[in-house]
Amino acid sequence: MDPVTIDTTKIKTEKKEPETALEKLEDTGLISTLLAARERKGLVLLTTIDQVFNWARLSSLWPVTSGLACCAIEMMAVAMAHHDIARFGMEIFRASPRQADLMFVAGTVTKRMAPRVKLLYEMMAEPKWVISVGSCANTGGPYHESYCVLKGVDNIIPVDVYIPGCPPRPEAWLYGVIQLREKIKNEGYGAKWGLNK
Amino acid sequence: MNAAEELKQSFPESVTGVGLQTNKPLAVVKKEDLLMIAGKVKEMGFDNLSVVTGIDYVDHFEVIYNFFSYNNKQNLALKVILERENPAVDSLFSLYKVADWLERETYDLVGIRFSGHPNLVRILLPDGWEGHPLRKDYDMNKEQWVTIGEDGEDIVSTDGSGILRRK
Repeated sequence: MDPVTIDTTKIKTEKKEPETALEKLEDTGLISTLLAARERKGLVLLTTIDQVFNWARLSSLWPVTSGLACCAIEMMAVAMAHHDIARFGMEIFRASPRQADLMFVAGTVTKRMAPRVKLLYEMMAEPKWVISVGSCANTGGPYHESYCVLKGVDNIIPVDVYIPGCPPRPEAWLYGVIQLREKIKNEGYGAKWGLNK
Repeated sequence: MNAAEELKQSFPESVTGVGLQTNKPLAVVKKEDLLMIAGKVKEMGFDNLSVVTGIDYVDHFEVIYNFFSYNNKQNLALKVILERENPAVDSLFSLYKVADWLERETYDLVGIRFSGHPNLVRILLPDGWEGHPLRKDYDMNKEQWVTIGEDGEDIVSTDGSGILRRK
């Protein structure tokens, strides 16, 4: 029996470039996936990866337990039952920065505390966000002319949301949290392509 | 007769003046005799040294010691007046243990030296900080920054490297 020989030069491996919109859609494999799912009578949820990730991230922001001054008292009021930050999935104030993804800079950042705050921020895992709370953390506030107070925590770490007030009321605090959620919702490549809306 | 006037009667040479400071008896004391007067004050029953204050009056310094007696519920303040150049006064650490930290704070912020203090180093600001901030001639234009060293010690720098964000 003759051995079977295959002439590989005769096999055409040319792949047609998708041109029309329908061909491009078929090329993604989305349609075959959908059809396969329908055959198995499964449920299909269409979304972008960014949207799912952002939704997961904004729904369970875990703040790190760190308060620097009197704004931290207001942070406790926000966490307690009356204002109830648990509505936003944030009730777990983590004692370790490695388990947290949000930092409230609540209070006066003195020059001597500043490297510790920076260290705390650097210890947090990505993705991470920072909310600067109160006049002191925003600009230095009443201590702007002081020799020992940082003139705004954004001198040392990037800040996403600033909440003014001295100290801000819990309602203002919750408004700032909602602003951060809006910001997280519009992050990622999908937002650039207009897919996250 | 209040406690300050008693002191004036006992030591007319050392106590140069008596008066009231926020309705509390005040005695102005020569700085050489402060330790002796404070010993007498402790004998009179003032068992608590509550505050040590240093004040810069541009041409001279003042240090005010606030005493309190828990048994008699009485207040007494002692004041010493120090010269502008190299202000120094005897430490009260041998009489009141609390003078340790109070005098360190006064040294830290106003720059008054307490001779006889066992450990006269800065208590609030990190070592290496230039100047005493509550003095009138403190240079506010020179920013100083603090970073953490390898062993967790504080390092003072004037350029803010290692702490400020690059913008």
